[in-house]
Amino acid sequence: MHSDLKIAGTQSTPAVQSDWAAGRLTMQGDSYPENSYELFGQIIGWVQAFLEQGSAPLRLELALVYLNTSSVKAMMDIFDLLEEAHLAGRDVAVDWRYDPRNERIAELAEEFREDCTFAFLIAPTEVGA
Amino acid sequence: MSADDASLYAYIESLLEADAYREHPLYPALEQLYRSHCGQRKRLERLLSIADGYQQFTRDEMREVQQQYERQLRRERKLSRISDHYQELMRESNRELHAASTLDPLTGLANRRKIAEYLKQAACRAHHDAATFSVVMVDVDHFKSINDKYGHETGDRILIELAAIMRQALRTRDLCGRWGGEEFLLLLHDCSLAQARQLVDRLLARIREPRFTAGEEALALTVSAGIAEYRLDESYQNTVNRADLALFQAKRDGRDCYRVPV
Repeated sequence: MHSDLKIAGTQSTPAVQSDWAAGRLTMQGDSYPENSYELFGQIIGWVQAFLEQGSAPLRLELALVYLNTSSVKAMMDIFDLLEEAHLAGRDVAVDWRYDPRNERIAELAEEFREDCTFAFLIAPTEVGA
Repeated sequence: MSADDASLYAYIESLLEADAYREHPLYPALEQLYRSHCGQRKRLERLLSIADGYQQFTRDEMREVQQQYERQLRRERKLSRISDHYQELMRESNRELHAASTLDPLTGLANRRKIAEYLKQAACRAHHDAATFSVVMVDVDHFKSINDKYGHETGDRILIELAAIMRQALRTRDLCGRWGGEEFLLLLHDCSLAQARQLVDRLLARIREPRFTAGEEALALTVSAGIAEYRLDESYQNTVNRADLALFQAKRDGRDCYRVPV
């Protein structure tokens, strides 16, 4: 078992929590970190480790708002890992939530979804959530 | 192997097998030559098959590199497309923030921050191009009693209607802003005091026309104003102060009128 991530969000970095036992990784907020390699390196590492060990399903719960280029690239890398695992028969899913006042975020999430064949839900944040 | 080659080989083999030629003086030479030829032929075939294998391998490898390259290219395109869209999103929200920070949310007029920015620019222009400008402070008469009597909702509606009237009365290059509660500031470009007086006269008359209501009730509404023309030897804040003092005088003189600095 890999140690879990618990990264507090800042103005320029998303909050990240992982739950190995539940097979869940969540990310919320803006992402334009000074050192995206450092931040996403550990996230990608966690996803890789989770997919390599065992066969439990993995679910990503995302509520990302603004992403800079290196963050977009890192998210594409993560989705590629999921796609690969999915093609190998693994149960993986993404659940991307956005503020209904900002439909543009949904459009961007759709662009990410384009080449993904695994379950990729894009839905407005529930009222009161 | 071509058909000609095959029949030649069959012919030679039949000669070598026939007992009748065993003792022929050329027999050993032919047999040796034929054996050597068969060895060479086999070697050549092997060589060709290895070369073909390499060629196939190279072709496969190239195809794979090509596919990898195309995948990478598609990824790069996707990456820049998504990034561009995020950037656009950022620019849009910047514009919205800018609008929010310079506009009065109730009336949609310029707020004090934007007015100050425009006044500064106007003062700057006045020094460079000798373009004069006038400042008009407008205050709604007895606004507090309207609010008290009919409620803030009515008060707000009246401010919105007044904002529209003032905007219509101005030329496109002029600025109308909300200075404070029921106080508006008009910035009239290339406008002397005499021209400003005429404009304000018309504006006061238009506001005086019975047009406002509170529920079923018609509401008599007037405004007072103070006008000051910018002087090159003063700061724009001072022009605003002089207009404000003139406005105060208009209020003291019974409202529904304008005054200019003495």
